[in-house]
Amino acid sequence: MPILEVNDLQAGYGPITALHGVSFDVEEGELVAIIGANGAGKTTLLMAISGIVPALSGAVLYRRRSITGLAAHVIMRQGIGHCPEGRRIFSRLTVQENLELGGFTQRDRWQLRRDIAEACELFPVLGTRMTQVAGTLSGGEQQMLAVARALVGRPKVLLLDEPSLGLAPLVVRQMFDVVGSLTARGITIVLVEQNARAALALAARAWVLEAGRVTLAGTGKELAADPRVRAAYLGE
Amino acid sequence: MGTVWGWVSDRWEVVVLAVLAVAPLVIPALGGALGGQVTTLFIYCILALGLNVMVGYTGLLHLGIAAFFGIGAYVLAILTVPTFPFQIGWLAAAAVSIAVTAGIGLALGAPTLRLRGDYLAIVTLGFGEVAKVTLRNLEQVTGGMKGLNPVPPPGAGVTVAGTDLGLAFAVDPRWFYYLTLASLAGVVWAMRRLENSRLGRAWVAVREDELAASAMGISATRVKLSAFAMSSAVAALAGCLYAASLSTTADPNAYDFNRSILVLCAVILGGLGSIPGTLLGVAILVGFDTVLAPWADSLIQQLNINPSGSSLLSFSGWRLAIFGIALVLVMRYRPEGLIPSRRLAAELHGDQR
Repeated sequence: MPILEVNDLQAGYGPITALHGVSFDVEEGELVAIIGANGAGKTTLLMAISGIVPALSGAVLYRRRSITGLAAHVIMRQGIGHCPEGRRIFSRLTVQENLELGGFTQRDRWQLRRDIAEACELFPVLGTRMTQVAGTLSGGEQQMLAVARALVGRPKVLLLDEPSLGLAPLVVRQMFDVVGSLTARGITIVLVEQNARAALALAARAWVLEAGRVTLAGTGKELAADPRVRAAYLGE
Repeated sequence: MGTVWGWVSDRWEVVVLAVLAVAPLVIPALGGALGGQVTTLFIYCILALGLNVMVGYTGLLHLGIAAFFGIGAYVLAILTVPTFPFQIGWLAAAAVSIAVTAGIGLALGAPTLRLRGDYLAIVTLGFGEVAKVTLRNLEQVTGGMKGLNPVPPPGAGVTVAGTDLGLAFAVDPRWFYYLTLASLAGVVWAMRRLENSRLGRAWVAVREDELAASAMGISATRVKLSAFAMSSAVAALAGCLYAASLSTTADPNAYDFNRSILVLCAVILGGLGSIPGTLLGVAILVGFDTVLAPWADSLIQQLNINPSGSSLLSFSGWRLAIFGIALVLVMRYRPEGLIPSRRLAAELHGDQR
């Protein structure tokens, strides 16, 4: 039984429809990837799942129950975390304050402390920067903070939007290592990436999005070997 | 020396409070007109701390805080003046007034929450004007330009050790001095607690990035509404103290746009989102207006420098010009305010903490 199911989802902004009926599903503990070019609708898809952008039609089911049309903060509280595109960290607040806000729904202070410590284990550099103002972190550290902040909210499903965007190659590797390790912690991952090679290597299954529609689907391996994917997204 | 200064700056509230609490015992002038002026200053401090919840913490530009100040004063007056049958006693009336004004804040906030920045500012500005005109024209209830009076002093009819508390307030301005000082201390304490509470963090998160805040499970709508309500409630408390200290609501023009702007300027001058900054901003701007300017005018009169009464030679005549220049200078050289909140300073100067 899939933990998250997206059925024929349409969404957009005002008169512009960005998603024209997208369907996919994720099993519990699975890592799936959505790949595609700029403007294909990947970010809109995640935002429509997490309730930031309203769905025009179609449905999002979480554990078989519809969460379509719920407010973003309600969806988050049900267990769907969203690490949005462009990091969106609170740049004037300290690293510590950012992480505490990530655990806003956690009322048990001790549990929150443990969750923050756990997130910092994944990105040890954050632990050394707790009192630093987040806007003064390097780009890689800011991205780590964004992911760590989302993890402090203890999501069952984590929507990850371009965690490798704009990072140095070495940091990209580190980021993908962490993302790949999250499923071992029982977190289901929906990974949106332009870095198709790395995403497909991690993903059990993947979907290719083009102009708001799914054009290809398969296991990560199948897609990585598919000539159309190789030509369009792997630069071969 | 360093450690002494550290102790003081960590507990500045306690030190300032202690000094202000002792002041009337050593400065006899505080038992006279000066006491009334300082009382007014304290009331504006409370009002500014209320505005700071919206403008400073939550980042919502509010240009109509004076309306809530006025509504607080009028609701208190309606419940206490002899022309109405209620006369429920000051404390109960203040509690009702605060609750009613917070409710009005919610009622204004609910339909306007989708608006951001300039648009919200225009709505609050409009509400301020509507409220003022309504207070003026609803003569049967508000007394029109005459206002409502006499508002009895707090504790009227309550006898402690053979003295009527109300009478004590009426006779000695130091009673009001201490009442408003205690209220201000309470509000500062509450604001401190709020800054470090879940709600306070949520206000800041929504100010910084609404989308990210909602991804953290924070309901931006509820958080903004609570800021509206809190701001209005604190403004109402200031209004209750104001009406009581004047023993009248004064005429509705006392709660006009200028008043809102004065308080907003004080918050910006002192430092958005900063409690000591807000208090300093009020001390400078309102202190200038209510204490320094009248004093300088009377001095000019005494020295007979200005026998023709020309406004060019009176201190008050230059008041707005001096305000304007001071604000421009502060914004140019210290845009984060005189005592900035740590966060704003970090952004504007890129410092690390």
